[in-house]
Amino acid sequence: MRRITPALLALAALALVPLASPSGYLLHMLIVVFLYVILAAGLDLVMGYCGQYSFAQGAFYGIGAYTAAILHRDLGLDFWQTLPLGVLSAGAFGLLLGIPSLRLSGHFLSITTIAFQTIIYLLLTQWTSFTGGQYGLPVPKVGTLSLFGHELFRIEKVREFYFLALAVMAVALLVAWRLATSRIGREWRAIHDDELVARAIGISVTRDKLVAFVASAALAGAAGVLVAYYLEGVSPTDFSIWTSATVVAMVIVGGRGTIFGPAAGAIVFTLMPEVLRATADYKLIIFGVLMIVMVIFMPMGAAGLLRRERS
Amino acid sequence: MLTPDYILQLLVDGIVTGSVYVLIAAGLTLIFGILGIVNFAQGEFYMLGGYFGITAAVLLRLQMLETLVVGTLAVAVVGLLCERVIFRPLQGQDMTNSIIASFGLAVALQNAALLVFGPEPKILRTSWATVPIHVGGLFLTLQRAIIPVVAAALILIIHLVLRYTWTGRSLRAMSQHPTMAQLCGVDVGRTGLVTFVLGAALAGTAGVLMSSVFLVQPGIGSMIVLKAFTVVILGGMGNIYGAVAAGLLLGVVEAFTSGFLNNMMRDIVGFAIVILVLLLRPQGIFGRSVERA
Repeated sequence: MRRITPALLALAALALVPLASPSGYLLHMLIVVFLYVILAAGLDLVMGYCGQYSFAQGAFYGIGAYTAAILHRDLGLDFWQTLPLGVLSAGAFGLLLGIPSLRLSGHFLSITTIAFQTIIYLLLTQWTSFTGGQYGLPVPKVGTLSLFGHELFRIEKVREFYFLALAVMAVALLVAWRLATSRIGREWRAIHDDELVARAIGISVTRDKLVAFVASAALAGAAGVLVAYYLEGVSPTDFSIWTSATVVAMVIVGGRGTIFGPAAGAIVFTLMPEVLRATADYKLIIFGVLMIVMVIFMPMGAAGLLRRERS
Repeated sequence: MLTPDYILQLLVDGIVTGSVYVLIAAGLTLIFGILGIVNFAQGEFYMLGGYFGITAAVLLRLQMLETLVVGTLAVAVVGLLCERVIFRPLQGQDMTNSIIASFGLAVALQNAALLVFGPEPKILRTSWATVPIHVGGLFLTLQRAIIPVVAAALILIIHLVLRYTWTGRSLRAMSQHPTMAQLCGVDVGRTGLVTFVLGAALAGTAGVLMSSVFLVQPGIGSMIVLKAFTVVILGGMGNIYGAVAAGLLLGVVEAFTSGFLNNMMRDIVGFAIVILVLLLRPQGIFGRSVERA
């Protein structure tokens, strides 16, 4: 309970933000932060808890987004139908990547996930007839949610989308947190610490790793569907290896294996380029240098630093 | 379409591109095998090689071979600084940290290049680009023909160094068992430095060589480093000779893919092979069967 109270307070505070009639820019930045929080918390399940390396979070993000766009184009499905389907298809791809990855660890695993990420990116850019190539695909606004003919609510403006993104993020964090604190979360930690011992005490390492991959990919899929509807379109540049590596950096710098650490990392890395905007052309150079400085001076991430100070 | 000349031309084109993959991947596999660093910034060393080569050729009016030497040395200096400032402090930590640092380095170098050299693509103009070589039905410019020659010479030199010098012996000892090597008196710091500089310099050479064939721009390293990763896996991690074979193989397979299928598949084929190989033979095509950890 100690850790859930501040999280609930933070969510409540975020829900009140639109009441203060903030600028559209602030809401936009917060929505982007929410998306990355989902991605980073999802990746933390695989990297922080289960101890497996993955550079494919951007690919799953893209799979979610393109599932939404393609299902809308071909079948005319709306947001409420594509959200679960995007989660499912990203999860299925997570299983697809998870199966070969079971045999690998360390560098081999990270490079396999890099290969997977690159193949997905190349398919998005090159398979023009299916994915729209470099130009991507259009996606409509979320629109109204009707139940039995009653219009429940309508999501068209940024302000309305903000609540939707916040809600999805809250659910995603809850799912990640529940998984991490449940039995399987403890099993992940055991695998992380010593796979051989974990196997010896009867943990099904295969199943647990697959669950981690699928859960992580499914969460990224949810973020993908959201971003497709938020930007009202998808294009491959958002889902490259750079996105994946940035999410990895969020998890590492925030502090792996804590869920809330990676969420904090997502906030830092999303807002940093905005804060650095005054430095104009130097922005991304400083971004890269800060990334190096942070791993050199905080090898266990910000959460690790805090833990060490406390103990 | 299936004339022997056409097939031979594809083969030669594949070997030229493959040689570039060999150089970059050999550097990557050295750095990985000895230091355990997955270096994302290898593609940026390649990119810098191109820019340094062009700058040196324009400012100092150098010929191709001199340009090659100057460009390579300049990249080696950058590699030296990176090892000292970034990767040395990260030694002994979790491997993801050095991956993230190399990723940060790649972002920083790419954008620094954008700032210094500008976004417009550049190309190295040398007199060799217009010297044609005809052998039978085969056509090649001298510029392209020297790429495999230089690559072969460098790999031979590395082979001799690794085999017959003390530096080479200490490198091999480090890759086999770092603790044992240290106990036997290998200077770990110096060996690490040599390895990283050598790895960076190989990518730099590849960059200078290619700068006269393809346009150079700040982003060119991103894709090539990913391909070099696939070469490293195919060849078996840390295995230079495997990287040579796998690099040439990838170049040839790509050339045939774009020659007979289509250009879209060209970039994908390598990554597809990698996933297949990892499923069937995780130690790489040329790797020894060991526990992959």
